[in-house]
Parts: sequence; C-alpha cells; structure tokens
Amino acid sequence: MSPCERGTDVASYVLGSLPGEERASFERHLATCSACRRDVGELQVVADALPLAAEQVAPPPELKDRIMAVVRAEAPAAEPVPRRARAPWWRRINLRLTPLAAAAAAVLLLAIGAGGALLLSRSSATTVPAQARFASAPAARANLEVRDGRARLKVSEMPPPPAGKVYEVWLKPPAGAPAPTDALFSPTRDGSASVDVPGQVSSGDQVLVTAEPDGGSSAPTSEPVIISNPV
Amino acid sequence: MALTQLADEDLMQLVRRGDAAAFEVVYERHATAAFSLAYRMTGKRSAAEDVVQESFLSIWRSGARYDRARGSVRTWVLGIVHNRAVDALRRSTVHDRRRASDEGLEERFEASDRTDVEAARREEAKEVRDALRTLPPDQSRVIELAFFGGFTHTEIAGMLDTPVGTVKGRMRLGMEKMRGHLGGLTEAIG
Repeated sequence: MSPCERGTDVASYVLGSLPGEERASFERHLATCSACRRDVGELQVVADALPLAAEQVAPPPELKDRIMAVVRAEAPAAEPVPRRARAPWWRRINLRLTPLAAAAAAVLLLAIGAGGALLLSRSSATTVPAQARFASAPAARANLEVRDGRARLKVSEMPPPPAGKVYEVWLKPPAGAPAPTDALFSPTRDGSASVDVPGQVSSGDQVLVTAEPDGGSSAPTSEPVIISNPV
Repeated sequence: MALTQLADEDLMQLVRRGDAAAFEVVYERHATAAFSLAYRMTGKRSAAEDVVQESFLSIWRSGARYDRARGSVRTWVLGIVHNRAVDALRRSTVHDRRRASDEGLEERFEASDRTDVEAARREEAKEVRDALRTLPPDQSRVIELAFFGGFTHTEIAGMLDTPVGTVKGRMRLGMEKMRGHLGGLTEAIG
C-alpha cells in the first residue's frame, strides 16, 4: 500500500467514483507520485476485471443491425477491403462475353436452377427450413435466414429448455460431427427467439440445436430438437 | 486471412481505415460483454441498448484513439461502455438503483470466435464473481455502488450514512482483497 497520504484515493479513482474536482486533483498528483501510480496500476487490473462480474446477456440482433446500418453508411465509398478487391467470378466472366454469349450464359444460368441461383445471389437472404422436434410443442417452427454466409436461426412456439439447461446451437458440416458454437439461448415467454449463428456457414452445412447443461457443452449430450436442412 | 482469424489489435488497425467488415467482427466479439455491463449498470434493456450503440459508434468514429500499449481492445471497449453508462445514469433524473433482474432475460450467450476462448472467459467471469462474493458485504457493497452504480464516493457515503473516509477505506480493502483473490487472472486481463 502506498506510503502517500493520497493513497486512500486510489481505489475510488480506479472505480471511477472520485467526484470531478477531486479526480482532476488526483490526476495532477499522479503525475508526480510514483507510489500512487504503482498502486493505480495494481488496482486498475481489478477494476478492468469487474465487468466480468455482470451476468452475461446477449444483445438483441436488431441492435447490431442498427449499428451496422450507420457504420456502413459512414464507411468510405472506396473502401480498400482486400477480400473483396476481386470482382465475383460471374462478373469477371460477363466482362469478356459478347451480348449474344452473355444472353446464352444467362439462359445457362437459369438452367442451373434454384440451387445455383441461390449461390449467385449472395447478397439476398434465403430461408432454409428446419425441423422442430418437440413432443410437447408440435406447433414449434424454425428456419434459418442465410445471407452472405451468415445465418440467423428464427424459432417460434418453442418450449423453454428443461430446468438447469440452455439451448445450444451447433454447426454440422456435410461430413463431420457437429461443432459447438458459443450461441446459447432460451426463447422468450412467447416461445420465439432470433439467434445469430456464429461463424460462416458453407454450402451443405446444417444448423442443429440441443438442450445442454447451463454453460453449454463441447459435444452434444442430447438429441437435437431443431435440425435445419442443408444450407 | 479471414477477418475472424485476426487479433483484435489488428482489426482495430483496419477499423481506423474505415473497414466496416472489420468493425463488425470487433462488435461481434465484444457486444455481449458490452451489453451485459451496460444492462447490469442501467437495469433496463432499452437504456443498455442506447449505451452500447453510442459506445460502438464512438469506437467506429474514433478507432484511432485505441492504444495497444495501454491494454487489450476488450478492456478499452468495456471502459468506453462503462463511461457511457455512468454518463447515462447521471443524466437520468431518477438515478435508478435497481439491479438488472427486473426484466426477463430472454437469451444469453457470449459471443466469441472460438470455444476455448469462450470457456476461458466463463472461467474468468466465475473467478471475478467469486472474488466479489467472498468480500465482506460492506466492502462489496461500496465497490458495486461505485463501479456498477456509477455513484461518487461522496454519494455513497450519503446513501450509507457513513463517513467518506470509511467508504474509501472499504473500497481500498475490498479491491486489495480482490486483487489477491484473482492473482494471475488480472495480469492476463490487463
């Protein structure tokens, strides 16, 4: 503990509870007192850890939508994003086609069918159906909204998880075991939920939901209650 | 390399140049911790949403102010959220002291890219909660009122009808004990 008489203010300072003028005065003091600076450094790490004491609550997905709408509107127009520097392959092909060939290509693209079109229209959201398997809630419904490789799971009429459990979202590749995500959720009282599936979903992936002990599991411990069709 | 593979500090360099996609990854990594802190402090979802929105837009607009020499991006983000929440509490005419337990919690999960990071964070959170819980109530009370309630030590002294010097002493003792309890964890966070 600091031998300095102002050392009594250190904890209040790192907790942000020194009133305005006292705070300014203490900061001036810090510039000249190495003992108090050392104490502030030691207790600041405790103050930095305090947010972890709050129960973890997910923000609603709409909040991200609102923030990102502002951010995208303010982003520089000629944003040099390396991963998007190259035009999509179909656009590059079209540049080299004559009008007739382009028309033929368009017909060909139509012939590829809905699956191909789905891949091409990456910026529009597609809905992937999912089965909800609740014996106690036959009206439960679920689907995935997929846009640009990001998926959001939407459910309705879903019963709450059993006591002491939470629903966990899994991402299952076409050939492989379900991989855990950090999306844990409980539906609202009316049985609805809207959960962003962390990470990128690829063609053929399925999204699963199981009931797991609080805190989630690293491998499923129960049968899935929601199984999406392959993306 | 995919943006989600980049460290926070590298993402912030892209954010500084106006990269919205990099900002989105930063948001996803820290939004749950930010919202949880704001919700714990304000006790209301709508107020917590406002605080998080203001905080992240300020981060977007002032990414240049992040200085990696002064700590992790997470600590920096949560510091901004804390300051904004204190401002919001002090702005409100009724300084509502309710805890964030008066509204149903519909969803909870922690956002991060990897489950090992996630598991480590859960463990850290548990240690911090335990450290706070093991303090004598008069010490944990003043720490919670100061940090989560946004009250000055003068206000706390008035609320508890206790001399300011006693309040400062309890803060100091409580914080010192937490530091001892958390040990290596605080070094990892800092």
